[in-house]
Amino acid sequence: MALLDNDVRQQVVEFLKDLAGPVRLVMFTQEFECEYCAETRQLVEELGELSDLVSVEVYDFQADKEKAEELGIDKIPAIAVIGKEDYGVRFYGIPSGYEFTSLLHAIRTVAAGEPELSEEGKKFLSEIDRPVHIQVFVTPTCPYCPHAVTLAHQMAIASPHVRADMVEAMEFPHLAVKYQVMGVPRTVINETVHLEGAAPEPMVLDKVREALQGTEG
Amino acid sequence: MEIGLLPQTSEPYDVIIIGGGPAGATAALYTARAGFRTLVVDKGLTAGALGMASKIVNYPGIQEPISGSDLVRRIRDQAASFGAEFVTDKVLRVSLRDEPKQVWGGRGVYRGRVVVIATGAMGRTRRIPGEERLLGRGVSYCATCDGPFFSGKEVAVVGNNDEAVEEALTLTRFATRVHLLSPTAELQSSPELTEEVTAHPQVSLHLATRVREILGEERVEGVRIASRGEERILPVAGVFVYLQGNVPVTDFLGDQLPVEEGGCLVVDENFQTPIPGVFAIGDVLCRHLKQAVVAAADGVRAAMAIDRYLSGRGKLRPDWS
Repeated sequence: MALLDNDVRQQVVEFLKDLAGPVRLVMFTQEFECEYCAETRQLVEELGELSDLVSVEVYDFQADKEKAEELGIDKIPAIAVIGKEDYGVRFYGIPSGYEFTSLLHAIRTVAAGEPELSEEGKKFLSEIDRPVHIQVFVTPTCPYCPHAVTLAHQMAIASPHVRADMVEAMEFPHLAVKYQVMGVPRTVINETVHLEGAAPEPMVLDKVREALQGTEG
Repeated sequence: MEIGLLPQTSEPYDVIIIGGGPAGATAALYTARAGFRTLVVDKGLTAGALGMASKIVNYPGIQEPISGSDLVRRIRDQAASFGAEFVTDKVLRVSLRDEPKQVWGGRGVYRGRVVVIATGAMGRTRRIPGEERLLGRGVSYCATCDGPFFSGKEVAVVGNNDEAVEEALTLTRFATRVHLLSPTAELQSSPELTEEVTAHPQVSLHLATRVREILGEERVEGVRIASRGEERILPVAGVFVYLQGNVPVTDFLGDQLPVEEGGCLVVDENFQTPIPGVFAIGDVLCRHLKQAVVAAADGVRAAMAIDRYLSGRGKLRPDWS
């Protein structure tokens, strides 16, 4: 049975109709042992049918280990959204519920390769010269979460040193425990700095600054 | 987990009004009567200042004492009779510069050409000691977002209105026990919700109970509560706070609209904000006198301006350019 009903399909077609360039959805699965792998795979495959510019590649996390390592994929289900280049935009866990919009936004902005951020934000991010890893923990029933996820993904597009993951907390309980996630969205930057809630761009940028200061020297 | 993908999205409305008190419901009455497809998104009949008032005797034309919720209901019924639609939902976020504009609720995304902000002034000013420190460590404002983290645990919900009761009921799907802590001796929620929550086997109702402090080091471990002069500690892993205060409710706007001192929205003489097609009326404005009939009048004046804006008749000149 299709995951996307006709209404949603129409909305998706409409949303993706002016894509600025081709986008690859590179999905990692493993048919057994992964709770939402099959659904996530089906979701990206159905999405791929809705735009000529969106292509889907499915890999096996075990059998295609090299590919996973190349893209820095360390858990499944995973989706890397790749445009002209790999900006480091990732989804871990199924982007269902409210997170489906985050996936659509990621496709659109990755296609354009142009982050929708303030000029100051873009300038600051373009000057970063050390790795920044942003993980945004979500639940699919959280209406505030896509804002935080999309903002993190925009930052990844703005800098080759920034990568940004959506992490569905229920599917990776060990990470929820590790990062003490008891509320979402929770944004963790470089393992050390964290932020609660869907914060505006300047506040997240301040946290990125704080994380970078922590890695100095 | 459901694979329900996009939240339910409605066809665009002409007018979406956030808040169904005297300002919002009166605006709806006028825009609906003018033939505009109108939706009012509201947290519940008793969520606002008027809805909670027990007796009104000075609303023009209504001589017999009437409860605030009955007065709101009458205005809403009148608006509905002209075709205005009402949905019970909490608005979490808006995207005011999109066309159509988008209003994100817990139950779906609503789209409209015009958005009217009529959310009133019952936002919170004071925090409970411990609340800020333990935010994201057991303190939450969103049961649907964070409920799953409290599976098999006991939680507290602080509040007494429709929203608090609905969130408490949502949490019963996850938590083993939900302690509903109402600052008042009676719940202020609608009779149906009050009955449902009172009868729920997983809910313990604590009336006339105040939360003095949220306790815990790394995460919430309990709440210190006071009832009838006696204090005690209730061990819980989560605290969901839905208290009200007296500042304008604008948190869902993010930084999309400017606010003046006191947290009020800024509008021109047509009740239009700096974003074209976005209006604000009622107690969410500082210059506003906090009376139901004044709020209703704001609604009428904004509705007239909206009519001009949507039909392109006459120029609605904003003061902002």
